[in-house]
Amino acid sequence: MTPWLRRQRALADYTLSALGRRKGKNISLVVIYALIVFLVASIMMFSSGMRREADLVLSEAPELIVQQLTLGRHELIAGGEVEKLAAIRGVTAAKGRLWGYYYDRLNGANYTVMVPDDPTIKLEQGQAILGEAIPRSRGLSWEGAPLFLSRFEGDLVKFDVVDTLSHDSALVSADLMLITEQDFRDFFGLAPDVYTDISVSIRNEREIATIIAKAEKVMPKARFVTRADISRTYQKLFDWREGLLVTLAIAAILAFGIFAAEKASGLSAEETREIGILKAIGWDTGDVIAMKLWEGALVSVGAFLTGAVAAYVHVFLGGAGLFAPVLKGWSVLYPDFALTPQIDVLQLTTLFLVTVLPYVAATLVPIWRVATGDPDQVMR
Amino acid sequence: MIFQTPIMALLLVSGLAGLVALWSAWFGLRVLRRWNLADGSREQLEMERQTHLISTLFGFVMLAEALALLLFVYNADRMANLFVGAMCAVGTLNVNEYGFPALYLKVATFFAAAVWLIVDRADRAGRDYPLTRVKYAGIILLAPLILAGGAVELTYFAGLETDVITSCCSKLFTPANEGLSSEVTGLPPALALWLLGGSGLAVALSGAASLWWGRGQMLFAVSGVVLFFVALAAIISIISLYVYDHPNHHCPFCLLQPEHGYYGYVLYLPLFFGTALALGAGVLQVFVGRPSLRDILPARIRKLIGLSMVAFGLFGLATIWAIVSSQLIVFG
Amino acid sequence: MITLSAVTKLYNEGRPNQMAALDGIDLTVPGDAVTVLTGPSGSGKTTLLSLIGCMARPTSGRVHLNGDMVSGLPESFLTGLRRTTFGFVFQRFNLVRGLSVIENVRLPAVPLGPDHVELTERAMARLEHLGLADKADIPVEYLSGGETQRAAIARALINDAPILIADEPTANLDTVLVNRFLDIVADLRAEGRTVIMTSHDPRIFTASLVDNVVRMVDGRLDTEEAPA
Ligand SMILES: Nc1ncnc2c1ncn2[C@@H]1O[C@H](COP(=O)(O)OP(=O)(O)OP(=O)(O)O)[C@@H](O)[C@H]1O
Ligand SMILES: [Mg+2]
Repeated sequence: MTPWLRRQRALADYTLSALGRRKGKNISLVVIYALIVFLVASIMMFSSGMRREADLVLSEAPELIVQQLTLGRHELIAGGEVEKLAAIRGVTAAKGRLWGYYYDRLNGANYTVMVPDDPTIKLEQGQAILGEAIPRSRGLSWEGAPLFLSRFEGDLVKFDVVDTLSHDSALVSADLMLITEQDFRDFFGLAPDVYTDISVSIRNEREIATIIAKAEKVMPKARFVTRADISRTYQKLFDWREGLLVTLAIAAILAFGIFAAEKASGLSAEETREIGILKAIGWDTGDVIAMKLWEGALVSVGAFLTGAVAAYVHVFLGGAGLFAPVLKGWSVLYPDFALTPQIDVLQLTTLFLVTVLPYVAATLVPIWRVATGDPDQVMR
Repeated sequence: MIFQTPIMALLLVSGLAGLVALWSAWFGLRVLRRWNLADGSREQLEMERQTHLISTLFGFVMLAEALALLLFVYNADRMANLFVGAMCAVGTLNVNEYGFPALYLKVATFFAAAVWLIVDRADRAGRDYPLTRVKYAGIILLAPLILAGGAVELTYFAGLETDVITSCCSKLFTPANEGLSSEVTGLPPALALWLLGGSGLAVALSGAASLWWGRGQMLFAVSGVVLFFVALAAIISIISLYVYDHPNHHCPFCLLQPEHGYYGYVLYLPLFFGTALALGAGVLQVFVGRPSLRDILPARIRKLIGLSMVAFGLFGLATIWAIVSSQLIVFG
Repeated sequence: MITLSAVTKLYNEGRPNQMAALDGIDLTVPGDAVTVLTGPSGSGKTTLLSLIGCMARPTSGRVHLNGDMVSGLPESFLTGLRRTTFGFVFQRFNLVRGLSVIENVRLPAVPLGPDHVELTERAMARLEHLGLADKADIPVEYLSGGETQRAAIARALINDAPILIADEPTANLDTVLVNRFLDIVADLRAEGRTVIMTSHDPRIFTASLVDNVVRMVDGRLDTEEAPA
C-alpha cells in the first residue's frame, strides 16, 4: 500500500469507530437520506421502465397511421382510401382499423374497444377477449362469466368472455376489449365501409418520409402519424413527469442538505472539542477534512446503496405501488403488472449526481469551518 | 426545453460549479491584493485557512465536472431518438448552435481544472505557499470559463426542441462538405496514422528523456498536447472506420454507443487523462526553480510524466487493438 | 533547542477587548533538559507553551527550532512539525471520550498513514511501560485521574517525539502520583528526551531532575528571582 492509501485507510478506520459512538444520530441521518434516494431512484427507475414498456409496445405497432381530419379533429375514414395507400410504392400493406372508447357507467371506467388485427385471434359473433383489468373491476370472478354492457338506459348487450389477455405489456392492454368487426359496427352503429383509421406497414423505415410525401398528395386532408412520432411523444411525456417529480425531490434533497449541514457541522460542543483535540495532537486541517469527508462518504454511499436497492425492489419487484398513479396517469382501470428490471450507467450516474452532490455541497462548508478551528483552543 | 433528469443533474453540477467559481474568484482577488506571508495577522491566517476550503471545493467541482462531461456526452447519445434525423450524440448536439460550444467548453474546463488541481497540490507541498498567487490568478482566469460553460450549456438545453430536424454524423463527417470536421475526415488515413505514430514517438522519446536524464519535460508537455489533437483527427479519419468495420463511417461519437462495445470510452478516457497529466507536468516545470519547491517538484513531475505515459500507452494499445481486431482492410 | 526572540501574543487583536497574553519574551529553552515554566494563574504559561510547541503563531517576534525559523510557516507545516517533534500532555489531558485507551494512544499517528499492526504494537509497548497495558481496551472515561494522565503521556509519545510538552500535568494529583510522574520524567530523560512543562506545584519545580525554571508574571519573564 502506498502511504496515501495507508493514510486514507487509517482515517477511515478512525471515522468508523467515531461514527459508531453516535449510532442513533448517524443511523437516523442515513435513514432519512436513504429515504430520499429511494424516492428519486424509484421515480427514475419507474419512468425508464415505463419508457421501455412503451417502446416494447410500439415495436409491434405499424410504422405509419393515417387518420382523416375534419375541423382539425379525428374523423372516420372511408374504406376506399385503403387501396390508395396500398398502391404507393414501398408500402407492404394498408389495413383499415376499428377501435373506439366505451364508457362503462357501472364502474366509471373507459374501455378501449377494438377489432383485432391479428389473424391468429379467433373470435365469433358475440364473443369478447378482455384486458385483465376489466374482469377485475367488474367483479367477473368466475371463469366463463358473461359481460353485459349498456349503451343507454334500458339497453343491454351480452358478450361471452372467451379469454383474458396476459400480463405482457399490460400497460396498454389492461382496459382493452376485443370483439369481431360485425359486433363492433353493430355496437357503435357504424356504416359498413368506414374505419377509425388506417395502419400502413412499410418495408424500409428510411422511406417513410418519401411515402408520406406521396400519400399527402393523394389524401391532402389526412394526418400521418409515424411510430417514431408516437415514441417521441411517449418519451417526452414520461420525461416530463419524471422531471417534475425529480425537481420536487431535489427540493426535498436541499431541505435535507440543510438538515445534514447542521449535523455535519458537528455543532455539539463535544464534537467541536474532539476536533480541537485532534488538531492539537497533530492532525492537519486537511486530515480533519479528509476524516469528515470519509464520514460523509460512508453516510452518503450507505444511504445511496440502501435507497437504490430499495427502489429497485419497490419498482421492479413490488410494482411501484407508491408512485405508479402519478406517473401512469390517473385511471380507474389501473394495470396490474411488473416492469422489466432495467437500470443503466446513465441512470445511476444521474442518480448519484442528483442525490450525493447536494449533500456534499451542503456539508462541505460546515466541515471546513470545524476543521479550521485554532489548534490551541483546547489548551485551556 | 426538455425536462429530463440527466439534464437537471448536469445543470445542477454547472450551477454548483458556477457558484464555487464565482466565490473563489472573489477570494482570489483578495489574495492577489492582500496576501502577505510575513504578516502574522488574523486576516492572513484566515486567508490561509480559506485556501483549504477552496482546494477542497475545487477538487469536488472537478470530480463532478469530469463525471458531468461523461454524462453530457452519454446523455446526448441517449437523447438522439428524440430528434428527427439524429442517430447519435452529434445529432443531439446539432439541434441548436450551442450544443458543440457547450461540449468544447466542458472539455476546456476539464483540462484547466485538472491543471489547477495539480498546481494546487504542488503549492501545498511547499513550505511557504510558493504558488498561491499563481493559483489564484489561475482561478480568476478559470472562473469565466466555468461560468461561460454553464451559461452555454443552459442555453443549449433551454433551446432543445424535439420537433427540430437535425443533421447527424453522416452529414457532418464526410469529406465532401466544407468545414473543419470535413477537412479532418478527408485527412488521408495513411497520413493520419503516420502523424499519430510520429507524435506518439515524440511523446515516448521526450518522456523517456525526462524520466532518465531529467530534461525535456516541456517538450513532453507540448508533444502530449499535439498528440491529443492528432489523436482526435486520427480517430475521425481512420480509427473509427476500424471500430465500425465500415469504410465511410467517420463519427467520433457513435464510438460511445453500446453497439460498438463502448469502445470510445476505452479510447477517450486514457487520452484525456494522459493529456491532462502532461499539461500539468508542463505547467509545474515552469515553477521548478522556486526555492521551496526545488526539492519536491522534480519528483512530482517525473511521477506525472510517468502516469501520463502509461495513459498514452493505454490509448496506443486501444488504437492498435482496434486496428488489429477489425475486419476492415484499408491498406490493401 | 528552542529560541524565542521578542515574542508577543495578542488575543482578539484589533478589537476593543484586545489583550496581550505575552509581551516581548526573549527566551532560550535548552534541548536535552527539563524546563519548568511557573508563575501565577493567567500569567501566560499556557500561551507560551503553545508557541513553543508550534501550536500557534506569535503575533510578532520569531521562534526558532534547532536553528530553523518556524514562526512564519504555514499551518500545515506547523502541524507536521508538531506531530514529529512534540508530544503534548494537556492541562485537562483531553483524551477523546468514547474511544478506548489504545485508540486514543494511536490517534496522533493516524494522519501519518502507519501500518496498523506495527502501530498497535508500538502503542501497547508504551502502555506496558506506563503500567496501563491491562486497561488498553476500556473507554477512557472510566480511567482514574492518574491513569488518565499516563494514558495522555502514552499518546504524547506515540510518534516518538523528542520533546514532551506538559501543561500542569500534576494538578489534582496526590503526592504518590506526583512522585510516580517524576519517575516517568526521569525515564524520559534517560531516553534522551527534552521535557518542557508548566506547574504551580513546588513539588515539581523544586525536584532535583529539573534543570531550568522560568518564572512568569503578566506575560513577561520574571528575572528578579534566581532559578531554584
Ligand atoms: N482566546 C483567548 N482570548 C482572549 N484571552 C485569552 C485567550 N486565551 C487566553 N487568554 C488570556 O490570556 C492570559 C494568559 O492565559 P494562559 O492560559 O496562558 O495563562 P496560564 O498562565 O496558563 O494560567 P493558568 O495557570 O491558570 O493555566 C489569560 O489572562 C487569559 O484570560
Ligand atoms: Mg494554563
